[in-house]
Amino acid sequence: MGRIGGTGMTDLIFYALSALAIWSGWRVFRVDSMIRATFALMVSFISVGGIAVLMSADYIGVATVFMMAVEMMVMGLFMVMFMMNPAGLNPMQMVHQYKFSIGAGIMGFVGLTTAVLLTNFPDNPLPENRDTLRDLGIELLGGSMLIFETAGVTLLATMVGAVALSSRRGRFGDSDVGAAPPGLHPGGEPAGRKVEKGGGHGGHGGHGGHQMMAEKTKPNSNDDPHEGHGNMPEMEA
Amino acid sequence: MMIFVLAFGMLILFLTFGIWFAAVLDGVFSRRLSGQSAVGLLAPFHAAAVYLTQQRLRTEAPDQLNWFLSIAGYLSVAAIGLAVVPFGPDLAVIGLDTSVVFWGACESLIVVLIFLHGWSPNAPLSLIGAYRYVAIGLPIMLPSMFVLIAAAIPAQSLDLREIVASQETMWNVIRQPLGLPLFLLLGLSLTLRGPFDYADSEDLAGGTSAEDSGANRAGWQVARLAMLVGFSAVASTAFLGGYLGPVLPGFVWLVLKTLVVMATVIWLSHLLARMPVARMLGLIWKILLPISFLDLLWAGLVALA
Repeated sequence: MGRIGGTGMTDLIFYALSALAIWSGWRVFRVDSMIRATFALMVSFISVGGIAVLMSADYIGVATVFMMAVEMMVMGLFMVMFMMNPAGLNPMQMVHQYKFSIGAGIMGFVGLTTAVLLTNFPDNPLPENRDTLRDLGIELLGGSMLIFETAGVTLLATMVGAVALSSRRGRFGDSDVGAAPPGLHPGGEPAGRKVEKGGGHGGHGGHGGHQMMAEKTKPNSNDDPHEGHGNMPEMEA
Repeated sequence: MMIFVLAFGMLILFLTFGIWFAAVLDGVFSRRLSGQSAVGLLAPFHAAAVYLTQQRLRTEAPDQLNWFLSIAGYLSVAAIGLAVVPFGPDLAVIGLDTSVVFWGACESLIVVLIFLHGWSPNAPLSLIGAYRYVAIGLPIMLPSMFVLIAAAIPAQSLDLREIVASQETMWNVIRQPLGLPLFLLLGLSLTLRGPFDYADSEDLAGGTSAEDSGANRAGWQVARLAMLVGFSAVASTAFLGGYLGPVLPGFVWLVLKTLVVMATVIWLSHLLARMPVARMLGLIWKILLPISFLDLLWAGLVALA
């Protein structure tokens, strides 16, 4: 993109975008909420898209921004939907499987660094008015069509799977029948409004009975917040 | 360099006066349709003054950074969207070969920003607005993408400048009659208006902006109007021939067409009722999306013929 300015300016933008990509990629693992992590990742991808635009790959760069914004939005939505945290704003531990992830991280870094150092990058600058968009289209619908279409169909199958998983209606009835929310601490009682006091969530059904109990115990559950008021500042922090 | 400065100056003028005029137009339509007398030209400034003198309230444990970024980002994306619109032959602030895709990137970032605006305050009504908007805002983008690709087919280019040039003989709104109506629906969604206002609606006491006050509220409303200006300019460029027109200078033609699109969007937003989310989802996926496929198919067949 000679339009932006001289070589110095392009270099400067490249370093700024790279720094932003690395910083936001690091933030993904340091923030404590699914939504923040999702959009930190989005910022990282957008910076990489900007670098692609700098390298005269206009379409790939812009399409990266376009795709990543949509994908990260959908990803955030699905993560919140499949997790117990209804909003995604409450702090939660976002990192797990420490040993495996550290190992994978080191492996990935070493592998990619080796690849970067060993690859013989071509050193032939593009002519000023080369239509990279047309080249890309011919490549995608020509030589690379099989790869491209395989990836496309795989992604489509994934999407159908995700929709089937998140749908309430299913072959074996509604997905939420008999479901109980997970506990607030490991092995604890199910979260949410207590229908009756003192556990005993065996198998005694009867929907009408539950409703009666819920009405009876309503005053009790209203009292709860007052009793636990001392805990509130802790939860804010 | 001179051309860039000229185009940039035009962009700032276009955006500033566009925002003001959109606010006036919105007031006129809403008051006329409810049988009240018209509003003055200074009403938007009075409203802004009221917002700016109010104090800025905080919610409990908000995400301040994202809250601020969502408002600033919405305004910037509106300006960036307007920047790809050519004000004359080869007179666009951002001259990209892929400007239609660039506008698509703006559209998808808008959904993210509106979501963040509702998520960051950490308050129930704005959060409901945010999630509800994502459910509608994402699928309504699909028809808009297909009608934009259809508009790009006669030009054989993804460049808005080429797309305008290809409408020299016939505007896309005539060549592809399904395109503009579908794109206008996207405009309602991007600017959170009328039948597509699932984010900032009255039933949620303002939705994502329920917790905005003072300068934040003023900023968000200005950003919504700026988005309306940007969207209208893109719509008139892609479907109404942009700066093309006889006698008058190109920029004037673009302004006139933008005003027409803007008035239509505002008029629709005050006239149409809003459906429940589930029904709207059904409408988008089962009816609007196939119609946009038809539009694309039509454009492709015409190109082959």
